[in-house]
Amino acid sequence: MAESFRVLHPIKYYRDYIASNVRPDGRGLHKFRPVLVNIGSIQTADGSALAKVGDTTVICGIKAELCTPKPECAREGFLIPNVELPPLCSPKFRPGPPSDEAQVASQLLANIVKNSKCINLQELCLFPEKLAWCLFADIICISYDGSLMDACIIALMAALKSVQLPVVDYDPAADSRLVNEEEKKSLNIKSVPICSTFSIFDEKVVLYDPTDEEESLCSSTFNIVVREDQLSSVHKPGGAPISDEKLFECIKVSKERASTICKLIETAIHENNT
Amino acid sequence: MDTNNLLVCYPGQRLSLCDKVYNSGQGTYERQGYIYSNLAGLVDVVEKDGIKIIEVHSPGVQTIVPAQGDIVTAQVSIITQQFCKCYIKCIGDKVLSRHFRAILRREDIRATEKDKIDIYRSFRPGDIILARVLPITEAHTYQLSTAENELGVVIAHSEHGHPMVPISWTEMQCTKTYAKEPRKVAKVIPESVHEDFIVRLAGNVSEN
Amino acid sequence: MPIDHKRINPPEDAVPYKLFTKLNTKSSQEQYQQILDKNQIRKDGRHASEHRKIYMKTGVIAHAKGSAYIEQGQTKIVASVFDPREIPNRLDYCLKGEVYCDFKFAPFSCPKRRLHQQDSQEKEYSSIMKKALEAAICRHEFPNFQVDVYVLVLHNAGSALSAAITAAGAALASAGIPMFDIITSSTLAIQGKDVLLDPDFEEETLSEIAIEKEHGIIVISVLATHDQISHFHQVGNLPLNVVSDSIDILHKSCKEIVPLVQKCVIRSVLAGISET
Repeated sequence: MAESFRVLHPIKYYRDYIASNVRPDGRGLHKFRPVLVNIGSIQTADGSALAKVGDTTVICGIKAELCTPKPECAREGFLIPNVELPPLCSPKFRPGPPSDEAQVASQLLANIVKNSKCINLQELCLFPEKLAWCLFADIICISYDGSLMDACIIALMAALKSVQLPVVDYDPAADSRLVNEEEKKSLNIKSVPICSTFSIFDEKVVLYDPTDEEESLCSSTFNIVVREDQLSSVHKPGGAPISDEKLFECIKVSKERASTICKLIETAIHENNT
Repeated sequence: MDTNNLLVCYPGQRLSLCDKVYNSGQGTYERQGYIYSNLAGLVDVVEKDGIKIIEVHSPGVQTIVPAQGDIVTAQVSIITQQFCKCYIKCIGDKVLSRHFRAILRREDIRATEKDKIDIYRSFRPGDIILARVLPITEAHTYQLSTAENELGVVIAHSEHGHPMVPISWTEMQCTKTYAKEPRKVAKVIPESVHEDFIVRLAGNVSEN
Repeated sequence: MPIDHKRINPPEDAVPYKLFTKLNTKSSQEQYQQILDKNQIRKDGRHASEHRKIYMKTGVIAHAKGSAYIEQGQTKIVASVFDPREIPNRLDYCLKGEVYCDFKFAPFSCPKRRLHQQDSQEKEYSSIMKKALEAAICRHEFPNFQVDVYVLVLHNAGSALSAAITAAGAALASAGIPMFDIITSSTLAIQGKDVLLDPDFEEETLSEIAIEKEHGIIVISVLATHDQISHFHQVGNLPLNVVSDSIDILHKSCKEIVPLVQKCVIRSVLAGISET
């Protein structure tokens, strides 16, 4: 009976749960789901990581290629993040070109990477105007259950930290390149942005780390990106308004969460290296 | 549940001989005198008049599709002058994980005064209705009917988005604004007898 | 190539760095000679007729009806199955249900970067998978409906197609889709007199090239209980007697995988019971 009520009248179903300060999956309103990070499982990629936030699973693989820099930024390399939401991960998605949600996620991720300056693109340039690295970061969602951005950023940052690039000898006079695969070095990651997702239910209750069902029922969903105890960005595309105090509280919680997740990524990197 | 005494099988597993006593039932198939399972699930032996029917049921939500005569719960999505489109969400008391499209034509809304029916005075998009599945004529769309007292709108919201309660079989009232709106209301049945009701409706079908 | 407006686009002239490594001067023949030593032992220590170890798990995707993850050596694949749904844009009634298969390599899964759009090899694999699975599914049980099967290769270290079919079979069974039997699949690579069961990526690529006159790759899938072969796919140039010998080897190897899939499916049933 409860199951059919959930399908037929989901808002009422949630309201009843939230009135007693608990969510249908057993979490409190202000509880995050467990996070899991695994690094370096894909050997064909130059760097890879798998991130799990509750039932949302995301895998990121980074492949490096060589290219010429753009004339307008001749001293910079490229980092191209693309988020894929294949039909495999949820019945919500259909085969075909990327859905709106995937496009929004890709763009949001690209902005976060750019604004947080986690990686200095100039270090990806091998020779001005001639040769640069292009890092293809493909982020694929394997199982979709809300808070996609949280998982995407964790996977991307962990994968970037695991990237091993070969040393390239470039001779500009002859335009000859020689890649030495025996000698590899890692990227210089300056900071690790961490994203936390929140939803506003019934215009007043804030749910932390919402699942897919909660996101679809809530009147608004917003992300807070934090980088080393500093607020990096808040992305709140419309929806229900939120009071100052609640927003500040969310930012405070995001900071606490970010430091634990950073530690988790460090531990995963450390375990992968030993 | 005690997992030790359960008979678990996988697809293609040979379950027994197929003879006068043992017969192949739901979730199994017969080949060359044997009964095989075609699901991963639990084996169940049903005895009926000295015949043992072997059935296999998979755990969790069952994969079922609507059939003629089933009572379904549907949500109205689009209304036009001639028909309204709905999504079937439950069959009987079984919840579907994937919703099926269905059409409810104007003349199937109620049994009397069929020529005076206005769709917008009966249903609005978002309403949850109980309906019966009609014989399938066209491929692909299920046709529904609410031409029975027990069928029609069960959950509806007023124009302002507040829940409404039925006040007669043609009207519902908003709980907040007390505004009345016309609907083809299902005869209200208390939740405690809901399951008997489903059984009774199913019984009606077999009598017909 | 037209610009993909729905993704973030890379510079057009990006090339893999592998092209500029110290030139690999070995011919494919020399490369091939290193694959197998005199005692029929391969680079990774396996005997020529030895299958890689398989790890399998069901229920990896939260919102799918059934899903499976398979690790065959380094090859890693996820498969998911969804509830039957109405076939879009079809007007006539069909007595048998449809199976839709979508096979995709992740961009980072192969040594060379793959594109996001489905290429011809992926299309070919999708249609082979569809044919192989159709024989195992009781399609008469869901007339006029379509079952979606999606496969994503995370890491292709050879024999991806057969691993994908085995995984999709387990995903279908755990989704409660009626099936005649458990389906398993296996790959064989042949070059001259050497017969390699379950080849890795390098062995697979080298067997596709004609170094010797007789060469090729065979993939079959088997319904074990009834001893039926549901699909057979071969590329290359092979005489008939080699093909029939190969089928015997593959058939045996497919049957050896069956108990593993059975265990996996039963575990998913028990997990489903303890949930309710």
